[in-house]
Amino acid sequence: MTARFGSTELPEAQERCLRRAVRLQWVSILFLVSATVLVYVVLGNSQAMKAAWIEDLLSFAPPLAFLIAVRVSKRLPSRRHPYGLHRSIGVAHLVAAVALVAMGGYLVVDSGMKLLTAEHPPIGVVELFGTTVWLGWLMIAAMAYTAVPPVILGRLKMQLADELHDKVLYADAKMNKADWMTAVAAMVGVFGIGLGLWWADAVAALLISGSILHDGVRNVRGAVRGLMDARATTYDDAQPHPLTDRIDELVAGLPWVGQARSRVRDEGHVFHVEVFAVPHPGVSPTMDELEQARRAIDELDWKLHDVVVVPVTRLPTELLA
Amino acid sequence: MVAGWGRLVSALITAVLLLAGCGTVRIPADPDGTLDRVRGGVLRVGVSPHEPWTTLTTGEEPGGIEPDLVRGWTAGLGARAVWTVGGEQALVQAMERGELDLVIGGITADTPWTDMAAITQPFTTSQGPDGPQEHVMLAPMGENAFLVELERYLLAQEVQV
Repeated sequence: MTARFGSTELPEAQERCLRRAVRLQWVSILFLVSATVLVYVVLGNSQAMKAAWIEDLLSFAPPLAFLIAVRVSKRLPSRRHPYGLHRSIGVAHLVAAVALVAMGGYLVVDSGMKLLTAEHPPIGVVELFGTTVWLGWLMIAAMAYTAVPPVILGRLKMQLADELHDKVLYADAKMNKADWMTAVAAMVGVFGIGLGLWWADAVAALLISGSILHDGVRNVRGAVRGLMDARATTYDDAQPHPLTDRIDELVAGLPWVGQARSRVRDEGHVFHVEVFAVPHPGVSPTMDELEQARRAIDELDWKLHDVVVVPVTRLPTELLA
Repeated sequence: MVAGWGRLVSALITAVLLLAGCGTVRIPADPDGTLDRVRGGVLRVGVSPHEPWTTLTTGEEPGGIEPDLVRGWTAGLGARAVWTVGGEQALVQAMERGELDLVIGGITADTPWTDMAAITQPFTTSQGPDGPQEHVMLAPMGENAFLVELERYLLAQEVQV
């Protein structure tokens, strides 16, 4: 069976990546189920613990969004969906990004409020196997358990996000980073409470919430821009995607072309390409030449999909800037 | 980044364990030192009437299951209980202001005071109108050494209703 994104068949390397990504997401979900149950059991009254738990719940959003989106994006284009269903990835990216913002925002507001109202979190004892143990130690142990897997999962996902050009995986990797950071903050916070520093918990949560919120806002902007058909960018939205320039160069190098510019939008995993080419004066491209140009672009990279080459007399002005 | 955090956390933990080993740090500790103040001193208890958990007779010390438990605990701490009688809300608010150290009065684990007071571990279970009820006491928020000391005592008691 060949893995595919709609009518785009994946090269072998990407196919392997996709399978690994799907497996990783299932592992993530299993881990999250165990973590949410464990943290809920030892929740107690710690602010950072509560935050860590809510954030565990929010962490379900990106893996679920990814698994659903990958399924949907495999469907072939139809009369009803002439562009295919690649955009499901863009939608999932938005879902994952909003989850990240919600988590960061929740942490800022909640720990900020706790500091303002100077709330002193109580942590008592529990009976465990016939002895009484301070619940704080159990919280720290639970947090240590929930901190380790996200570090590993996040790093693996980040690599795959690049290979597959998958922004959902990218946002999810950021979510994993947020997960382990809040877990570590909660450990430090509970420890601080143990030392009699009532504010330690809220301050620890507040310190990391800024970076989570920043990641979230960046991803929401990237996702919205993608859905608004902004020019294609790299998987981390750091820069314009280099393929756009390579397409322009390729087409401009064709013998019949005087000047060419392309319009590339990110449909999810794959790009939708429209090339405007101005032929040399007095030259009219043949059907064959147009078809060859189209095929050459298609072969440039697996991501390039649904390529249209249009001969025009003048380039659209917005592409000349 | 990962390695940095890991090192920071392990350094912190080591430092604190060392301190704890030398006996200079107790975990958990009280931000406001309630346990240290009560030990060998005075425990200010708020009592809300609720028989048979608390029974109030004019001119006498409060009696009933919970005042007896409190007296048993203060005896172990070398402390003396001073009682303030009132309604639950007034007592909880007084504890929030730092005027009381403990509030009792047939309070159960599903009390609505969880945002204003620390709920202890239950010391017994009784049959209520909606099924079993776990009985607790209310301690000041975040005074965790005090809370843990009290809970350890309560858990060690066999309370018959």
